[in-house]
Amino acid sequence: MTEPPRPDPDALLALAAEGRGRLKVFLGAAPGVGKTVQMLAEGRRLLAAGTDVLVGLVETHGRAETEAAIGPLPVLPRRAVPYRGQALAEFDLDAALARRPAVLLLDELAHSNAPGSRHPKRWQDVEELRDAGIEVWTTMNVQHLEGLSDTVARVTGIRVAETVPDRVLREADAVALVDIPPAELLERLRQGRIYRPDQAERALRGFFREGSLAALREMALRRTAERVDADVTGWMRRNAVAGPWPVGDRVLVLIPGGAEAEAVLHHARRIADALRAPLLALHVERPGGTGDPAPGLRLAEDLGAEAEVVAAADLPAAVLAHARARNVSHIVLGRGRPARWRRLLGRTLIGALARRAADFTLHVVAGPPPATRRPAAPRRALPGWLGLAAVPALVAAATLVCLGLDGTVPDASFGMVYLVAVVALAAWLGPAHAAAGAALSFAAWNFLFLPPRYTLVIASAQDVLGAVVFGVVAALLSGTTGRLGRSVRAAAARLAALRRLSALARRLNAQSSMPELQGAIAEAARQAAGCPACLLLPLDAALQSVFGADLAPPDAPPGASGPPEPVLRAASPADAVPDEAAMAAARWALANGREAGRGTATLPATPWRFLPLRAAREEGEAVIGLLGLLPGQAGRGMDDPEADRTLDALLDQAAVALERARLAELGARRRARGEAEALRTALLTSLGHDLRTPLTAIRGAAETLRTVGAALPEATRADLLATVEEEATRLARWMTAIIDMVRLESGELQARREPVDPAGALREAAARAGHAYPGRAVRVAAPPGLPAPMLDPVLLDRVLENLLDNALKYSGPSGTVLAEARREGAWVSFSVEDDGPGIPPAALPQVFAPFFRAARADRVAAGSGLGLAICRGLVTAMGGTIAAESPVRDGHGTRVTARFPA
Amino acid sequence: MSGPAPEIVLVVDDEPQIHRFLGPALAAAGYEPLRAETAREGLRLAAARGPACVLLDLGLPDMDGKEALARLRAFSAVPVIVVSARDREAEKVAALDAGADDYVDKPFGLAELLARIRAAARRALRAGKAEPVLRTGPLQVDLEHRLARVAGVALHLTPREWELLAMLARDAGKVVTGQRLLTAIWGEAHKADTQYLRVYVGQLRQKLGEAGRLLRTEPGVGYRLLAEDRGDDRGEGSPAASPRPVPG
Repeated sequence: MTEPPRPDPDALLALAAEGRGRLKVFLGAAPGVGKTVQMLAEGRRLLAAGTDVLVGLVETHGRAETEAAIGPLPVLPRRAVPYRGQALAEFDLDAALARRPAVLLLDELAHSNAPGSRHPKRWQDVEELRDAGIEVWTTMNVQHLEGLSDTVARVTGIRVAETVPDRVLREADAVALVDIPPAELLERLRQGRIYRPDQAERALRGFFREGSLAALREMALRRTAERVDADVTGWMRRNAVAGPWPVGDRVLVLIPGGAEAEAVLHHARRIADALRAPLLALHVERPGGTGDPAPGLRLAEDLGAEAEVVAAADLPAAVLAHARARNVSHIVLGRGRPARWRRLLGRTLIGALARRAADFTLHVVAGPPPATRRPAAPRRALPGWLGLAAVPALVAAATLVCLGLDGTVPDASFGMVYLVAVVALAAWLGPAHAAAGAALSFAAWNFLFLPPRYTLVIASAQDVLGAVVFGVVAALLSGTTGRLGRSVRAAAARLAALRRLSALARRLNAQSSMPELQGAIAEAARQAAGCPACLLLPLDAALQSVFGADLAPPDAPPGASGPPEPVLRAASPADAVPDEAAMAAARWALANGREAGRGTATLPATPWRFLPLRAAREEGEAVIGLLGLLPGQAGRGMDDPEADRTLDALLDQAAVALERARLAELGARRRARGEAEALRTALLTSLGHDLRTPLTAIRGAAETLRTVGAALPEATRADLLATVEEEATRLARWMTAIIDMVRLESGELQARREPVDPAGALREAAARAGHAYPGRAVRVAAPPGLPAPMLDPVLLDRVLENLLDNALKYSGPSGTVLAEARREGAWVSFSVEDDGPGIPPAALPQVFAPFFRAARADRVAAGSGLGLAICRGLVTAMGGTIAAESPVRDGHGTRVTARFPA
Repeated sequence: MSGPAPEIVLVVDDEPQIHRFLGPALAAAGYEPLRAETAREGLRLAAARGPACVLLDLGLPDMDGKEALARLRAFSAVPVIVVSARDREAEKVAALDAGADDYVDKPFGLAELLARIRAAARRALRAGKAEPVLRTGPLQVDLEHRLARVAGVALHLTPREWELLAMLARDAGKVVTGQRLLTAIWGEAHKADTQYLRVYVGQLRQKLGEAGRLLRTEPGVGYRLLAEDRGDDRGEGSPAASPRPVPG
């Protein structure tokens, strides 16, 4: 009666490859056939063999038989979900995920979870469990299969509300059929072994009629048989056994807009299943096409079809082109509701395909029962009454014009005036309105102007001809113009969408900083979706851009430790912040890389909807963030296909822009780290040299004085003492420089702003420099009346001191130094010039780098190599610039100029 | 201040403050200090004046220290003590392999520097005589008869241990780089296998007993066999005392 659990090599391979848990379905034709008992019995066997089996949830329906079947199996406690004042005991998905059994038994795959659960449907819970690597066994009745719901409704007269997508069963690794003959089942029902007596009574009138049961049983048997067949065929193929299977069958289903889609898709799925052929779905978007294709496309994907949308004006041609391109053998389409005249003329899609598609098998699906047909929603931009009112209004206007012209032009030319009204109606409102307008116009024209007037009779043959010509021209014009108008409108809509996209791309590209980019994305999402939007990024990435520091190693994969935590980075408007409940959906969406929240399969009770942003990284595609949308009550921004498309494009572009910004930031940080590294190395070298030489001199001089001082002449002793003093001063200066440099590098330095007299500052610094180098003079040139720039006097003094010191040091004992303050337009400049050997042009760009030293051919003790680097840092901190020129006086000399805004 | 003419010590360093204190200190120790601030100047003075010892700074502006050493070695076997602010072992090893006799790190103590100068000058004197038997402390190494004694007792050494001791003894007082020892004793292929040396030096120290302290490790550079002349110039002896080495 059941097939033993057998290893499916493909499933094993898949398991090894992606770690997805196996799924085994115990399939029955009706309640009470013993699926649950069967599942529990097999579970007990596995438990006895030492496997970690856990009962996630079993509905006993008060049946003692089922109760007993649980036996020694451990049962997961249920989760109490408060719902409308009562507590529902639901399956605890999180507990099951945390417990991680090897095999989890979960009854009733088609069950709908209590509102507020993570997933609306239990089969979605199962998907998540399998994603987590847990093998799941479950039970299901065949009437819950989505693809059979129409048939079941026809056979039993009951529409099943709880359905499971066909692909769930198709993708199951094992299907065990639990079957008993209908007569035996009915007997069990009457004995009260399935339902309580009152329920049993009701059941006997519904499902449990013998005919219904037989039909359901046949469906279950056939489904299982098809599966077995598919398994066998698959096995034969894998093992290269030649066999009689159909080659290359492919089924293409045309998704109509509107209500018909469901029945057509289900039928196509069954045909494809029966043929064991892949199912392709196509929606052709046409100018003026009616009905929203989105639900049909979603259902197609749920049914495992590969769905595509193409845009074309000629429907049959587009269908045939696609069918040939994809090597399709069968085309499934709905009967549709073509206009009567088309049917009369044979110009229907079915007719066209029948004529032109000789190499395809056509399946025309019966329309849905009238009861389930929903009226197509009006999709006109204008309200319906306005269109209806426009027809008499335009005709009346034309009539007024004609009355005004009456007597001045021949009566026959009034037709022209009416034509204008008809064409206008065709262009604005479409052919139906144009036809109505034409009829009305013709009546008015005939009644008011064609002799005999005030009758609907036409007297002369000439007028009859005129009327006929009017009719034909009006019909042709309205058709053509109407189509043209629709094309123009569709083209305009597409153009607008394109424009929005390119504007979006421009806006995202224009953002220079990460926070600006994030704000722009949220803003663009709000515009595209027409509802509040926000941007969430995983915690580690957010931290890195907030602090700019390596709190997390930048190369570590996101979520290496625990699941990534989404953090709000931007919102538009600013108060569009998801609450804690919504963040649960965000967390799930980020961890699983799938949509969550409103309108999705996960936590649909959340008002927010979260869409993952994906980007390609070295380690493969990764979810780099989430876009959150808060659709309004009307759901605007969710089901508008144009907005959907724009939003899709936005997701792609936002992901690309974010990823690019992240890479740029990483690059900048690496560069900065490299520069810091270079500075550290230079600092170490400097420590090695500049610290040791003065220390050696101090130590040596002191030691000489101590050991042989008494024997030395007075002058030598004085010189040794001077050495100690000078070297200590040099050490102190060097330390100041190092500390300045470190402070500049760490950005700790804060410049004050106060008006500074340039001439005074320069003279003071020059006087001190002259003191430090006795016998050397610094010439100062500063014109009176210089503006006083806003600077930090202490920092400026440090800059001038460094520049003068450098100039004196490098110009040699007899060199002259010129210090000058000047006004250069909007700038005040300080320049220090020496007549030393100058700097080689090749070295000029590096003079401001830390620890750069010019060649010491002049034999003057060089400084720390930090002077100019510090100057540059200080000048930049005060908002100025600094530059060096060399040579400045016939082949030698150096001039360094610092400029500040006046 | 005894002796006919004071020995010349040539100081090659580009930092004037070093000369300012080394000049008086060397003069007070009985040497004649000679000052050079570039390598070229130093080479010229070394050729012209025939110094007893050269102090060479490795960070010279006009020439790489190693190159200066090579040029000096082309015409003179004068003992060279390398002075460098850079305490990078690789540089010291390179200088020693290029022909330097010893090294001191900045900042160095004056007494230590003077002791090194004395040891280097003494070694130079001995090298001229090509003594077959080295005596240092209680250790006696007879290079001709391949015999080592500590306080008169003969040591039993393996061939490798003997080669190691002999190499150090030939350059007693001088740092011999690990690389040189490895290349000479174990061959070119093993010049990076410093663990061989550690093992053999350890064994040798044990066999040397009380003379083991003479076998010094210069971390990261090599080994040195101290040259003690009856213990007279060890430690912090006054630089003024006994400026002239007494030949052993």
